[in-house]
Amino acid sequence: MDDTQIQNINNTNTFLSFQLGKELFALNVSKVLTILEMKPITKVPNSPEYLRGVINLRGNVLPVIDMRIKFGMSATEFTTNTCIIVLSVEIEGETIQLGILVDSVDSVIEIKDTEIEESPTIGTKYKVEFIQGMYHLEDGFIMLLNIDLIFSNDELMIAQEVETNASVSNSEK
Amino acid sequence: MEKFREKFIEEANDLINELEKVLLALENQPKNPDLIQQIFRVMHSLKGGSAMFGFTKMDKFTHHLESIYDLIRNSKLEINNDILNITLASVDHLRSLLQEKDDEDTKNKVQNDLLVAKIQEIINENVMAESNGKTIQPMEQRQNKEHATYYLNFKPHANIFNFGTNPLYLIDELCDLGQYKVFPRFDHLPGIDELDATKCFIYWDIFLATNQGINAISEVFIFADDQCDLKVQKISEFNLLDENTFIGIIEESVRSHKEIDLDQMMLLTHDLEKIYEKEKEPQAQTKSGGASADTSISSIRVSSQKLDDLINWVSELVTIQARLSLFAQENDSAELSAISEEVEKISRRLRDDVFGIRLIPIETMLTRFQRLVRELSQELDKEVVFKTEGTETELDKNIIEMLADPLMHIIRNSLDHGIESAEERKILGKPKKSIILLKAFYSGANVVIQISDDGRGIDPEKIKNYAIAKGLIGAEAELTKSEAFDLLFLPGFSTAQKVTKVSGRGVGMDVVKRKITEIRGEVEIDSEINKGTVLTIKLPLTLSIIDGLLVQMSDTKFIIPLSSVDKCYEFKHKVLENAINNLIRTDEKEVAFLNLRQMFQIEGTPPETEHVVVVQFGTAKIGLSVDTIIGQYQAVLKPLGRLYKKQNSVSGATILGDGTVALVLDTNKLISQYATNEIKIGG
Repeated sequence: MDDTQIQNINNTNTFLSFQLGKELFALNVSKVLTILEMKPITKVPNSPEYLRGVINLRGNVLPVIDMRIKFGMSATEFTTNTCIIVLSVEIEGETIQLGILVDSVDSVIEIKDTEIEESPTIGTKYKVEFIQGMYHLEDGFIMLLNIDLIFSNDELMIAQEVETNASVSNSEK
Repeated sequence: MEKFREKFIEEANDLINELEKVLLALENQPKNPDLIQQIFRVMHSLKGGSAMFGFTKMDKFTHHLESIYDLIRNSKLEINNDILNITLASVDHLRSLLQEKDDEDTKNKVQNDLLVAKIQEIINENVMAESNGKTIQPMEQRQNKEHATYYLNFKPHANIFNFGTNPLYLIDELCDLGQYKVFPRFDHLPGIDELDATKCFIYWDIFLATNQGINAISEVFIFADDQCDLKVQKISEFNLLDENTFIGIIEESVRSHKEIDLDQMMLLTHDLEKIYEKEKEPQAQTKSGGASADTSISSIRVSSQKLDDLINWVSELVTIQARLSLFAQENDSAELSAISEEVEKISRRLRDDVFGIRLIPIETMLTRFQRLVRELSQELDKEVVFKTEGTETELDKNIIEMLADPLMHIIRNSLDHGIESAEERKILGKPKKSIILLKAFYSGANVVIQISDDGRGIDPEKIKNYAIAKGLIGAEAELTKSEAFDLLFLPGFSTAQKVTKVSGRGVGMDVVKRKITEIRGEVEIDSEINKGTVLTIKLPLTLSIIDGLLVQMSDTKFIIPLSSVDKCYEFKHKVLENAINNLIRTDEKEVAFLNLRQMFQIEGTPPETEHVVVVQFGTAKIGLSVDTIIGQYQAVLKPLGRLYKKQNSVSGATILGDGTVALVLDTNKLISQYATNEIKIGG
């Protein structure tokens, strides 16, 4: 494999999309290590709510983050579609592995650079810095996440919680 | 190149450490020629390496230093305190030279000049001796020269057997003369149908290192002279068969060439001789031709990262194995059980061995203490002997690294506060030389290190009064002796009347305690006035596996380290619920307890009968209520990771046989975090 090929793989525009409630998100597959079915999570006492606990990943202890809570939704309820996506992310220069809890994994899609639109600075309920861009589908759009940044702080992702809360809970029903 | 430099720095550090160690040993046996030889060898390796990797300053400096020991080695100079002091100072200087990035570090330069001047001074005092020293060298070389290397080409005639001569006997006889390397050659061997068993087709290339001279070789063949073609050639004045390079080269050439090219061989040996001469000169006395070069292979150097990886894998294996055992139990198959038991046996062996690799003897960290005692006792004008016992006791490398600082502090305290001045000792009728003893031994799954001195000891009353004055305890507090000594570990506690350079700034024993607790160790003090003080440190053998008590609340499992568990009791839920001030009666004693279920906000209803695990918290006992106690469990400790770094009460997690995760509790942190005024600590 020559250098350019390696570069292509690193900068691949292949994304894994997943669902939280009714909304579609995607993250670069280069961050994804594996996808697990739901398994029992051991809760760590007195930790933030979005940290759901730890699981055993091939003999290692892996923290699991509830993405719905992180994105200002209600806690994930476990269904047959609930998945744990295991990611390798960089936090303050340190590579760590963690799992994220999502309602369901959707598909793997190729997105060309030209197809990525800038996220509008207003009108989204999520903080702009966490969104790498938008990708339009026929019947909606996918938000492409800047995954390293999301886990670099303890904040929730939601920006204008008050205004949009109503619509979120409506759309979920 | 950078990589090699790093390697050299690593090696040089080892060499410097070795040098320090030998120097300290030399102080006790100044006449031991082996030690001097060892110093010389270390310095020489250091000099060679530093020159090769561009540490010019170090090269020059070591050269000066070496000169002194050359004089000592040749008995022109005797080891004295001055020389030792300078050499030890030089050892420190070498360390800083090794770290030096660019050449313009003025502080180093000043130190360098200073030391070189001192060294010169010592050497100049022995000008006469130096000139004599040189005449000695050739004599040493001659001794070595007596072993010369010969090359023999021994071609028996085909009909040699007809004379009743066995060429192998000749070779045997030849080999008795010294070190040898024999290569039989088969290239004259005919095909199977032409082979005549009564004829000899084999010939030999022989390398022989002997001090018997060429005549002895000719004598071997005296009766076979006309039955063979024999070439004997002296190829070197030295014993080249001690050189692995040479052996490698001849083996290679024997393999690739049909005949040994003598001219080429002579050229090669000439080159080798030069190197040999350079390298072996300082070692001439110890090397006397016997088998000696094999010691280097008995151990290899492995990066600790590789060891850590290995341990991780073994830990995983242990986890998987626990799962297999569980599965075998559930599925009643004799064959599976047998396999599972076998795997369990092997993985336990493997685990013990792998953890054994990481264990290093305590001895490795003693040098710096010896050094400390030596220098401090001079500074404080006290005569102190540092003794050690059980230094072969092994501990995990990480523990040893983290233990060095606290131990240093303890020894410093002993020297400064514990041991009396010479006059005081005289009045008390104690021996002039005081003793600090470091004793290490195994005790169950723990290693115990004891540091004792025969100094003035600690007065528990004094401590108590001091603590009351400082407001650390109430004036009417009743303390046992050991409780009083425990006060010493409180932050800001120092009874030393005056603050010295050495110790007594009030930072000290609390840091010692904290550091030791960090590696899951315990420390306690015992002392008797005018008899001395004993400090006992109890440490776990390794950091990554702990014995624990597996407990459960709802569907969450926790592990409480067995080292802190005192006793377990059963209680009705109602009793716990209605307990006043969270106090329960166990064995006629009131014990405060914490409701873990409440504290951890675990959902679900507790069972009718709950369990209380009583754990040690400092000197107090505190109960922790849980639903059920499952049993004892050997837990492989895994970190929870960065996201849980704020989590204090859980020190890690472990993976259970069924694949789920159990959390390992740190009871000390847990209790201090939740202990409120309601709980009477110490009650």
